[in-house]
Amino acid sequence: MGAVTGPALPPSAVRHLHYASWSPSSLPIRCSSFGLPRRPFLFLLRSPPPPRRRLGNNRVRCSAERHALFNRIAPVYDNLNDMLSLGQHRSWKRMCVSWSGAKRGNRVLDLCCGSGDLVFFLSQKVGTEGELMTECKGCIPSGWLIQVYGLDFSSEQLSIASRREDLYWKACYKNIEWIEGDALDLPFSDSYFDAITIGYGLRNLIDRQKAMREIFRVLKPGSKVSILDFNKSTSSLVSLLQEWMIDNVVVPTASEYGLSQEYKYLKTSIAEFLTGKELEKLAKEVGFSEAKHYEIGGGFMGNLVATR
Amino acid sequence: MVRGSRVLLLKDGGGGGGNALFKVLSDILVCPLSKQPLRHCPDSRSLVSDAVGVSFPIINGIPCLVPKDGKLLEDEIKLKVDDSSIAKGEG
Repeated sequence: MGAVTGPALPPSAVRHLHYASWSPSSLPIRCSSFGLPRRPFLFLLRSPPPPRRRLGNNRVRCSAERHALFNRIAPVYDNLNDMLSLGQHRSWKRMCVSWSGAKRGNRVLDLCCGSGDLVFFLSQKVGTEGELMTECKGCIPSGWLIQVYGLDFSSEQLSIASRREDLYWKACYKNIEWIEGDALDLPFSDSYFDAITIGYGLRNLIDRQKAMREIFRVLKPGSKVSILDFNKSTSSLVSLLQEWMIDNVVVPTASEYGLSQEYKYLKTSIAEFLTGKELEKLAKEVGFSEAKHYEIGGGFMGNLVATR
Repeated sequence: MVRGSRVLLLKDGGGGGGNALFKVLSDILVCPLSKQPLRHCPDSRSLVSDAVGVSFPIINGIPCLVPKDGKLLEDEIKLKVDDSSIAKGEG
């Protein structure tokens, strides 16, 4: 399989592709006859592809390496998500938000928020009518209640999230606050949130039990966390298909952006992740009263819903 | 345009509006290490944890509360003293 170079694109198309790098859903997927993206997608890069780095057995061992990895893939993260899932990742994320139980007036947190997809969905869900829990009620313009927190350890991803917020401005987005932080040491008080979501983040955390304990701590009793990620399937067929997709679609696509090493780590990462049953067990061990894992996306994806 | 106003407010330190928003944030956020309250310091544009003597920067309007990004307050004071001694020496 290989990408096929096409004729040069007219300037209007290049501008569309350039700005479409920020678009949640408008990016056209132009594929070669082999189903892989054509080279013109390289126009989407704002900077030259980063130099290839060895990740040593495709394992990303420590937090600093993962931090660097996510900073490197930040510029093309959204485009790759769109291409690799054919836009389906948005449906999965909407399901994740729905399962979290977030509703109007709630205070919610999205961990490992990346470029903000889940935060923007949550922002529309909870609106701007929550309660202002601070003495400074008269000091800020009315209607600027912060109800949606997006936390990530990658400054590059947060920078992109902030720019997307500006670019696709909706009035409800004024309820969003971006925080650069560590999911293992959350800067929030106990029992603070009505709902928490994580999309493709738990698998990348060095200490998942500590992360679950922190989530438990900052959730209000009776509230839910909704955790979307790849499914580590117990079905050999699904696992084989998943590995085939990564080897033959994901990595070649990522290599068009000079990021094949970064995406090769995905296979190892899924192999080291927990199955649905193991995730339910982890949640119960940490203290959640209920935990249920749902398989979606043909079994390739899974969503854990745990109630404090 | 309305859509840019909050970002502009935060990015330039915002004067009254931006500082008020960070004051609100300091009421809501806690120190990631001690889980104790934070104090907004407008001069250094940071959120300070007096419990552990660490300050966390606010960069481009985004509070940076990763534990390893915190700066010890005594180191910050020493740097300020050194800077002012150098300035006096050159003056």
